[in-house]
Amino acid sequence: MVPEPSPPNRSLADDIRARSDEELTSLVAARPDLARPAPSDLTALASRSATRASTARAIDALDAAHLQALEAAAVATDPVTPATLARLLGASDESAAAGLLDDLWRVGLVWRSPHGLVVTRTVIDVLGDNPAGLGLPAEDLPGPPAADEATLQSEIAAAPPRARAILDRLTWGPAVGIVGPDDAPGRRGPAEDGARWLLAHGLVRAVAADQVALPREVAMVLRGGRVHADSQLMPPAPAGVAVDPDRVDAAAGAAASEVLALLDELLDAWSQDPPRVLRTGGLSVRDLKAASTRLDTEPEHTAYLVELALIADLVADDGEVEPHWVPTAEYDQWQTEPGGERWARLALAWLSSTRAPHRVGGRTDASTVINALGPDAQWPPIRSLRRAVLDLLDRHWATAPEPAAVAESVRWARPRRVPRTLDSVVGAVLREAAWLGVTGHRALSSAGRAVLLAEGDPRAAAESIHPHLPAPVDAVLLQADLTAIAPGPVTGSLAAFLRLVADVESRGGATVHRFSDESIRRCLDQGWTGDDILAGLRDASSTPVPQPLEYLVRDVARRHGTIRVRGVSAVIRSEDERGLEVMLAHRRLAPLQLRRIAPTVLTSPVSPEVVLEMLREEGFAPVPESASGVVAVPIRPARRAVRSRSVDPALVQAMDRAQLGSLIQTLRAGEDEARNRASAIAGGRGPAIPANDPTTSIAVLREAIADGRAVWLGYSDSIGQTQRLLFHPERIDGGRVSGVAEDVARTLSIHRITGVVPD
Amino acid sequence: MTDGALIVQSDKTLLLEVDHPKSADARRAIAPFAELERAPEHIHTYRITPLGLWNARAAGHDAEQVVDALVTHSRYPVPHALLVDVAETMARYGRLTLLKDDEGRLVLRTTDRAVLTEVLRHKRIKPLVGETIDDDTVLVHPSERGHLKQELLKVGWPAEDEAGYVDGEAHPIALDQTEGWSLRPYQEQAVDGFWDGGSGVVVLPCGAGKTLVGAGAMAKASATTLILVTNTVSARQWKDELLRRTSLTEDEIGEYSGARKEIRPVTIATYQVLTTRRKGVYTHLDLLDARDWGLIVYDEVHLLPAPIFRMTADLQARRRLGLTATLVREDGLESDVFSLIGPKRFDAPWKDIEAQGYIAPADCVEVRVTLPDGQRMAYAVADAEDRYRLASCSDAKLPVVEKLVERHRGEPTLVIGQYLDQLDELAGRLDADLITGETTVAERQRLFAAFRTGEISLLVVSKVANFSVDLPEASVAIQVSGTFGSRQEEAQRLGRVLRPKGDGRTAHFYTVVARDTVDAEFAAHRQRFLAEQGYAYRIIDSDDL
Repeated sequence: MVPEPSPPNRSLADDIRARSDEELTSLVAARPDLARPAPSDLTALASRSATRASTARAIDALDAAHLQALEAAAVATDPVTPATLARLLGASDESAAAGLLDDLWRVGLVWRSPHGLVVTRTVIDVLGDNPAGLGLPAEDLPGPPAADEATLQSEIAAAPPRARAILDRLTWGPAVGIVGPDDAPGRRGPAEDGARWLLAHGLVRAVAADQVALPREVAMVLRGGRVHADSQLMPPAPAGVAVDPDRVDAAAGAAASEVLALLDELLDAWSQDPPRVLRTGGLSVRDLKAASTRLDTEPEHTAYLVELALIADLVADDGEVEPHWVPTAEYDQWQTEPGGERWARLALAWLSSTRAPHRVGGRTDASTVINALGPDAQWPPIRSLRRAVLDLLDRHWATAPEPAAVAESVRWARPRRVPRTLDSVVGAVLREAAWLGVTGHRALSSAGRAVLLAEGDPRAAAESIHPHLPAPVDAVLLQADLTAIAPGPVTGSLAAFLRLVADVESRGGATVHRFSDESIRRCLDQGWTGDDILAGLRDASSTPVPQPLEYLVRDVARRHGTIRVRGVSAVIRSEDERGLEVMLAHRRLAPLQLRRIAPTVLTSPVSPEVVLEMLREEGFAPVPESASGVVAVPIRPARRAVRSRSVDPALVQAMDRAQLGSLIQTLRAGEDEARNRASAIAGGRGPAIPANDPTTSIAVLREAIADGRAVWLGYSDSIGQTQRLLFHPERIDGGRVSGVAEDVARTLSIHRITGVVPD
Repeated sequence: MTDGALIVQSDKTLLLEVDHPKSADARRAIAPFAELERAPEHIHTYRITPLGLWNARAAGHDAEQVVDALVTHSRYPVPHALLVDVAETMARYGRLTLLKDDEGRLVLRTTDRAVLTEVLRHKRIKPLVGETIDDDTVLVHPSERGHLKQELLKVGWPAEDEAGYVDGEAHPIALDQTEGWSLRPYQEQAVDGFWDGGSGVVVLPCGAGKTLVGAGAMAKASATTLILVTNTVSARQWKDELLRRTSLTEDEIGEYSGARKEIRPVTIATYQVLTTRRKGVYTHLDLLDARDWGLIVYDEVHLLPAPIFRMTADLQARRRLGLTATLVREDGLESDVFSLIGPKRFDAPWKDIEAQGYIAPADCVEVRVTLPDGQRMAYAVADAEDRYRLASCSDAKLPVVEKLVERHRGEPTLVIGQYLDQLDELAGRLDADLITGETTVAERQRLFAAFRTGEISLLVVSKVANFSVDLPEASVAIQVSGTFGSRQEEAQRLGRVLRPKGDGRTAHFYTVVARDTVDAEFAAHRQRFLAEQGYAYRIIDSDDL
């Protein structure tokens, strides 16, 4: 579509409205946030693109070259042309500058005016007051406007040494500096050198009593017209050694095979004995350490493996009352898939995960320890960083760059979005990629590349790793030192059998399993018999079962289960074997589920009391026995109730006359006071209400309920004032009394009732 | 993926498939740097350790060779991290060298200043060196040569010792290779390996003729020699062997033991006499400086007591030869053997030597006896420390031992045990002579001689027989109790019967253990060692005997 000649743009909105469909498509593709939710028209799109949030996002996505170009354009006072931009960037190549500007226009960070490209106001806002370390322009600082360039040049050239040193310090930012007391701008006296000389000549401006700022114009002159000290227009080439792609793939295959074996082992262990879910949601440090010991891996590697299991949905919180981490149903499915598919699932899950296993074991900002599988291992920036690292390796195919060089390149590609810990993050990503087999010998493997391009489809990734995975073996070698060696990966039922019957001693291309008393016993506990185990071993082995191994299995099997444990509730013992037989045959005793465990012993799962009673009912004469076998003669005392604990009535002690006198006086005084107060409050309505304790109040209330009479009560309301109510109580429960007062149903708390008098 | 015979594991073990057509090549390629750990029937396990890698460096192999051997013979891709680790570990050896400078002073020189700076900052190393000569060189006091090597190894920067040796006082010694006798090829290789390396350890199985390797080394040195052995019997045997196989005469060989204190051009001393202390002072330390020794031979290096290590640290200017059947020390002092005696100079797997016909093939059988009910009860209620004794001294073993002795009547048979009462009783029941630590040397030698001539065919011995007793014709060994699960002891005892037999008979090695007790547990431990060494063993019940 040929764009129709349109009137010159006066704003970003005009510019966007004038763009072709294709240009709009690329704008929205580069800034997907503009399209969500879909804007109603182009004006809406334009205004959304000019928002601070969207602009900041777009700027964050820029690489160092474009960021420098944008900063340079923002510094320019007038609309920029490729020529001016090239000059500001200190680049000799005008076309490169044009290309950069064009890219910036495409993403809507600059717009085309008749005189050149203009940086949007939001961009300037987002870049802040100090783009590229430059200070504010002179017009935004106190003092006169800046002199022209030639004047500034000559002033700078005339600067005495200390003044010059200050200028040099401020040139590349920060553009504001604190000066010593002797140089403070407010100080009087001749200004022969230093900051005050610079102030006097307008090269710096005073922004505070002890601070001076370098105006942007002066800085530009000092910088020789360039905005940046070192140009980053070209991406750094990561140094690295060339590696043979075949070797890379082979190594990746080995790593992939290992990660599958490790996860199998881990999740198999967790199926048997799942670790607890911490209250904060993660895996305890102790359980992680246990996994480390079991897998014989470094803690960081172990954390990675358990996290990998989580992000590939192979393990989850079972959601029970006491929650545990257990393998999921997907895990069962996953286990039966071919190696390539199993690996692809892991790799794709890892690539798109926002969990950062390397953070496990570190501390959060709140300085709590980050647990594996816990919420704190979630760290969204990792996803784009991971992608950035792998994309870089992809661009440098068949090279193994140093981690530091990779970090350097990542920093260039996204300068505004690198974490402080970039080097360690990149290191962690590279390690994880190597463990997974996405890389081999530190270069991207073809399977890794397939994963990058897979966009969620596991098939291609699975196919690409498949030829590099060692072929599974279907037989192991059994040896007389009680080991079984699988000279390659084992899968399926053979793997499960070996894990059950032996312990893994060494892992790698091959797996060394060791048989021991415990491992054989474990297998027997699962319901296998010695013969089953030996048959299984014979099937699994390409060589005969060595005599010592066979002996071990038989020996453990011989001892296994010779001792049985069962739970019973009652034991019936009698020298009268006949009598016991009668009991066994007795139909009415069937509910006791009697079992004979010796000629003179019967057992029952029913409680001894019931057994005794039923036997007696059927005419037997049993005697109860204590646990130690002593006849427990039931001592039947005459039945007596135990007096329930009640409050003792207060002992009434006789009072002497003096005490009585003073008591009466007190009572009188109290009565008078209450009467006075009552008449003062209520103006005489109803009787005076004495202050009762709650027990008395409840008693009076209960009486009133029983008699169906009303009471007068004092009730302290929510603001603490005592109200007088004529109350018809109906019910007391839970420390409240319900009833009707002044035709309104009310429920009053007893503890607020100050006193009650019957009406 | 290749079809190599080797599988490299992530824990740095190497699995070698024995029946693979290329297994011999692979074995040869990895032997210099990997220690054979287990050698059962199908797959042998080697382990790569820093000491092994440094041994290889000392023998002139470089990291490239090691990596190449691994990559070439490995069936699956070798983990990158492992290769890097191998290269880095090997690169640590030789950064520091002990040598004599032009003025004849002992100095420590480095090819990497950072390393020198690093090690000199260590608290334990700083006092061992003297003034700095230049950025790469520091002066070392000759008396600290051994300590310095020990400490440097501990911090992971083993020094190469090129400071040379004193020749010592010359004394002509020659091998007497008449009468159709000569050093076997592997013995010659061992002597050459040692001599080229200067100092170091030769690993040969019991019965493979370590004494002769010692004699060969003495002939090379032709200098006064101090031989350190484990006990007096062993000293006498060394003497006999040297008289028989070398030009040395009775007058030239001295014995320095508890009984006699002779210092002659060739002096044989026991570890015990050297480590005797009175009032905290080693009274016989002077022996080490009594003559200008040109060679010091350490028999059974894996048993070398710690004080001897300390003394050896001061003998670094003399050539040192260590002889042993195994580098595995149960006290973990392997690194001291490396730094003070020297790197391994020769090693041959038992099975190979057996295949060459120099060791008798052995039939190892574990016989399990069931404890009678009364003893089972006593065992169950016994304290943990008494359990082993109770189980291993069970009466139930006696008839089994009788039956075994009966089965091999006429063949030279040793009954070996740990507990004297048990041995007493056995000797009584079997009507055999008993040798214990209390038996006089003369009596011991008389009995051994009688045993050797076939005059008597059955001996009951305590653990004194573990070390260096040479009983050429013992073809049956019956072990009734041992020192808990010591692998080293097992090697020794097996060695008792693994001497080449005149008629190529199979040797028999029986262990009698009490079922379901710690005795059986310890036995399992020791048996594993046998299986690992490639000796098939069987377990049978005493009832099936």
